[in-house]
Amino acid sequence: MTRGAELIRAGWRRHEVRLLAVLVAEWLVFYYCGTSVNRHGVVVGFGTLERQGDILRHSCEIGLLALVLTPVILTAGIDLSVGSLLGLCAVVFGQLWHDAGLSVGAAAALTLVAGALAGGLNAGLIAGLRLPPLIVTLGTYSLFRGLAEALTRGAVTYTDFPAGFLALGQDRALGLPVQAWAFLAVAAAVWVLVHRTMTGRAFRVIGFSPEGARYAGLPVRRTLALAYVLAGVVAALAALIYTARIGQAKADAGTGYELSAIAAVVLGGTSIFGGRGSVTGTLLGVAAIAVLQNGLATIPVVIRLNAAGEIAGLLTGALLLGALSAEAAAKVLSQLRRRRQSAPGPNPVAP
Amino acid sequence: MKSYARELAVAAVLGLLLVVLAVWAPAFFEPAPLRSLLAREAPTLVVACGMALVILTRQIDISVGSQFSACSVAAGLLAAAGWPMGLVLPAAVALGAVLGAVNGALVAGLGLPSIVVTLATMVTLRQGLNLARQGEFVNLPDGVQWLGLGQSAGQGMLLLVAGAVFVTLALALRHLAAGRHVYAVGSDAEAARLAGLRPRRVTLAAFMLLGACAGLAAVMNVVQSPQVQPLAGSGLELKVIAAVVVGGVAISGGRGRLGGVFLGLLLLAFISPALTHLHIEAYWEKAIQGAIILLAVLADAGRKEDSP
Repeated sequence: MTRGAELIRAGWRRHEVRLLAVLVAEWLVFYYCGTSVNRHGVVVGFGTLERQGDILRHSCEIGLLALVLTPVILTAGIDLSVGSLLGLCAVVFGQLWHDAGLSVGAAAALTLVAGALAGGLNAGLIAGLRLPPLIVTLGTYSLFRGLAEALTRGAVTYTDFPAGFLALGQDRALGLPVQAWAFLAVAAAVWVLVHRTMTGRAFRVIGFSPEGARYAGLPVRRTLALAYVLAGVVAALAALIYTARIGQAKADAGTGYELSAIAAVVLGGTSIFGGRGSVTGTLLGVAAIAVLQNGLATIPVVIRLNAAGEIAGLLTGALLLGALSAEAAAKVLSQLRRRRQSAPGPNPVAP
Repeated sequence: MKSYARELAVAAVLGLLLVVLAVWAPAFFEPAPLRSLLAREAPTLVVACGMALVILTRQIDISVGSQFSACSVAAGLLAAAGWPMGLVLPAAVALGAVLGAVNGALVAGLGLPSIVVTLATMVTLRQGLNLARQGEFVNLPDGVQWLGLGQSAGQGMLLLVAGAVFVTLALALRHLAAGRHVYAVGSDAEAARLAGLRPRRVTLAAFMLLGACAGLAAVMNVVQSPQVQPLAGSGLELKVIAAVVVGGVAISGGRGRLGGVFLGLLLLAFISPALTHLHIEAYWEKAIQGAIILLAVLADAGRKEDSP
C-alpha cells in the first residue's frame, strides 16, 4: 500500500474525519439543491453568503451549550439543566434591566454571576455530595424553568432593549455575525482547556475512572465543580445572545436546547460514558446539525411541505442513531472476526 | 431487615399536604373533581411502573413521551377507522411494545448507552409524528369516550385498570423469579450473567414492558376526551422519571420498590391542584417539583452512607 493510501485509511478511522466528510456532503447537497436564481436574477437560497451567516448566527446558542457540555460529558457526567438555565438567565437579565433599572452592562454581568451560581448548585450537589448528575440536573432542569415561569408569572415578556445590546445578536462585525466572535472565543478557550491543560486531562481521567483519578492525586471535586460552573456561566452568556438575537426575554427561552446540544456532542464522537472525545468533534457535530436544519429550509420540496423543522429533527435523530450503531456494530463484528480467527486450529503456534 | 424509610418519608409529606388541604381547602376532597384528577393521573401511574422496571435494570428511557404520543395517535386513528376498542387496545399495546423493543435491542444488543439511544428515538419519533400528522387532532367517533360507560363509571374503570397493573407488577417484582432477575441485573449485570441469568434478555424485556405500558396508558388517556392531541405525551418522560426517583428507586439500578413510586407520583400529581386550591400561583409548580426531586436525591445521599 502506498503511503498516501495509508494516511487516508488512518485518517478515516478518526471519527472527526468521517464527520467532516458527512458535513461536506451535506453542504454540497444543499448547495446544489437549495440555491437558485429568482426572477430578478439574484441568487437566493443556501449558496448565498447571507444564508451562511444566518446558519452561524442561529447555531451560536446551541453551539455554546454543546461546547461546555463537552467537558461535562468527558467526566462521564451530564447536564440536562442548561436549556432551562438559559431561560432563567434570560428572565433574570430582563428583570435586572427593566424592573431593577440597571444599565445593560451591569445587568449582563449580574446575569453571568447568576449563571455561575446556578452552575454552582449543580456542582455542589454533584461534585460535593457525589449525587448522580442525571438526576441532579433533571431536578434543576425543572427547578430553573419553574423559577423562570414563577418570576414572569408565565406571561411577562421583556422587550425594547437598547440598540447597542441588540447589535450583539443581530449585527455583523468584520464580516461575521457579532455573536459568532463570542462563540469562536469560547470555542478557543474550551479547546485550550480540554486539550492543552492538566485540567483537561483530569476531565478524561475522571471520566475513565473517578477512583483512579483520586488515587493519582487529581483534585476530582474541584475539577468536576469547574465543569458544571463553566456550563452555568456559558449558559448565561448564551441567554444574553439569545435575548439579543430574538429581541425579547421570556421564560420559555431555550426549551429543548439541552437535547440538541447533547446530540451535537455525542454526534461529535464524545463518549457518553466519559473519558473519550474532543472539542473539534463537538464543533463538527454542531455544524452538521446546523447545516442540516438550515439547509433543509432552502430545498423547494421541503418548502412546499412546510416541514423543514420536522424533517431536520427526524434526520438529526437518524444521524445520531446511525453514527452510534455503526460504531457499535463495527466493534461487535471485529470481536466476532477475532473469535473466529482464534477458534479453529487446536493450538495456535506461538511466534 | 428492609428499610421502608423512603416510603414512610414520602407518605409523611403526602399526608402533611393532605392535612393542609383538609384544613384550608376542603373543596379539594369533593369526590367528582378528585376522581377526575386521579383518572387523569392513572395513565401516568401505568407508565411510571414500567419506567421503574427499566430504571431498576440500570437503564433509562426518555422516549416514553414520544411512544405515548405515537400510540395515542395510532389508537385514535384506528378507533376513527371503525375498529372496536377490543382490537384498538391490543394494537396500541403491541405498537408500544415494538417501539420499546427497538430501544431495548439497541441498548441490550449493541451495548449502546440507553440515555443517548432513547434521546435519539425520542427526537426521531416525535418529529416523525409531527411530519406525518402536522399537529392535527384526531376526532374520535361516539362511544369511544369512556367506552360509552359514562364519565364516573369510565373513570372508575381507569382507576381499576391502573390499580391492577400496579399490583400485578409490584407483586411480580417481589415474588416472581423474573422480578428478582430485574434486581439482579440492575445490581450487577456481570454477576447476574455468571449466576446463569441472561442480562440482555432481561433488559430487552424491561424496555418492551415499558413500551407496552406506554401503549396501554395511551389508550387510557385517549378514552378520556373526544379528541386525540398529538402532543399529549410531551414531557411525560420527565414527570415519570421524577416520580420514580422521588419514590426511592435508585438511578444506579437494583434498588427500590413500586410502592414508593406510587406515593411519589401522588405527591407530584397533587402539587398543582393543591396550589390552585390554596390560592398560590400555579406558576410555582415546576419549581416545586424540581425542589422535591433535589430533596429526594439529597435523601439518597444520606441513605447511601447508612447502608454498607
